[in-house]
Amino acid sequence: MTDPILTVDGVDSGYGEVQVLDDLSLTLGEGEIACLVGPNGAGKSTVLKTVFGMLEPWTGSVRLGDREIGGMAPEDIVRIGVGYVPQTENVFGSLTIDENLRMGGVARDGGLDEVVAELYDRFPILDDKRTANAKTLSGGQRQVLAFARALVMEPDVLLIDEPSAGLAPNTAKEVFDDVETVNELGTSILMVEQNAREGLGISDRGFVLDQGTVKFEGEADSLLDDPEVSRLYLGGESRR
Amino acid sequence: MAQILQYLANGLVFSSIIILGSIGLSLVYSIADFANFAHGDTMTLGAYGALVAFGVFGGLGGTVLGLPIGFFIALAVGMALAAVVAVLTHILVYKPLDTDSIGLLITSIGVAFVYRAVLQASFGTDFLQYDIRRSGPIPVLLDTLDVAVTQRDVAIIVSAAVLVVALHLLLQRTTLGRKMRATADNPDLARVSGIRTDRVILVMWVVGSALAAAGGVFLALYSQLDPRIGFNILLVVFAAVILGGIGSVYGAMLGGLLIGMLHELTPLLGDIGLPISNAYAPAVAFVIMVAVLLVRPRGIAGDMT
Repeated sequence: MTDPILTVDGVDSGYGEVQVLDDLSLTLGEGEIACLVGPNGAGKSTVLKTVFGMLEPWTGSVRLGDREIGGMAPEDIVRIGVGYVPQTENVFGSLTIDENLRMGGVARDGGLDEVVAELYDRFPILDDKRTANAKTLSGGQRQVLAFARALVMEPDVLLIDEPSAGLAPNTAKEVFDDVETVNELGTSILMVEQNAREGLGISDRGFVLDQGTVKFEGEADSLLDDPEVSRLYLGGESRR
Repeated sequence: MAQILQYLANGLVFSSIIILGSIGLSLVYSIADFANFAHGDTMTLGAYGALVAFGVFGGLGGTVLGLPIGFFIALAVGMALAAVVAVLTHILVYKPLDTDSIGLLITSIGVAFVYRAVLQASFGTDFLQYDIRRSGPIPVLLDTLDVAVTQRDVAIIVSAAVLVVALHLLLQRTTLGRKMRATADNPDLARVSGIRTDRVILVMWVVGSALAAAGGVFLALYSQLDPRIGFNILLVVFAAVILGGIGSVYGAMLGGLLIGMLHELTPLLGDIGLPISNAYAPAVAFVIMVAVLLVRPRGIAGDMT
């Protein structure tokens, strides 16, 4: 693993009185894609929400590099190089595509026009619909917009919650391709994915969560090959 | 025919007032998710603030739209006062309360009582007026169209239109306005995007309350001022907001226009022989609101923001 850019260390967290994460620890290496997989209710999305300040860690620490970010507000975390793409309701439906992208850049110091222009180049589907309201987009297009909105800040770390949720297989594949492209351009990615095999397939490393804690972790390939992980969490035999 | 024109002219004045009240009510609903029953009394508060300020500035020379310049200064003071009080109420009362939308609704009724009690204790319950000479109908309109419209009516319509256009430009053309729309659309995603929603919400209270105050001032200018004017009109404002689609600013404008018009067109029913007098105008407006909602449950504007 490369040097850790994001470290979650012994975190308990949850909603109100309900605890979801139980002494959860994981690290994201610089330049990596890491994928969180596991059954419904394992706490995958809760990890992202706790890292991004939507939830406050009850105990433990969340660090970006050496800096403690546990309990910081999302609007501050986004300013220090972390982006987040929620699973649902991840675009402003009543705003245009262009306005959505510009809202993604409210915390930028400058260069907004340039980065938005680059994103239009990279995602022509958005360029074609600049002035359309985001609620008119298809599911796949929305996912691209949600993704692009988070990229306007040019984050060092991007947290993505179930990029393929609700998408047809072809569209999901395109979204995974986009995730890989963004990673190749230098963004480290921590991703939650229900579709575990596909998610691990594009990842460097993986974490299998169950009951709020990490049960298995390792190279994505070795998790895919691990018969026990396959049987318990990936719905069948290992691929080889 | 002239009679219908007269009703439409009256409707336009009343709609202007209702629209100014509706916008703030809808804005607050969109960000705070509760029906703010103190909104009517915010209108009243603005009207009294302007009354006091008019006592100071009323003597200034010059006129705009047939009203003394001092009136418009007083209007601005009333709007500012309502904005300050609303922001303080938000910070001191609504924000610290850990309750649901029903709890906030009931709280806002209490806030309304407090506003009214303070006004009543300070100014009494007598009817008051801005000390501006009333002029008769504009002769040209009376002669050509047989419609009685005063300069004061025109001033209200024009002023309201200026405020609504200014709000539209703010929402559509400025980054602050886009942040307001984004926050109303999805507050969580707004924070995720880096918008400091706490500040945006304060701006929305300022804008909504200032516009409500303007509505209150124009209502007092149109008729007269007492501590209940805002509360008395609040249900009509609610009807407008719900008709337009609650939470939507443009829906509130549309709903305000329709409800104001329907309210003032009610005498037509009497004219065609139905036993319905002007006193039943609010009831007629509400019946039509319910009828529209049966067809379009989310209001005319649906989920436009």
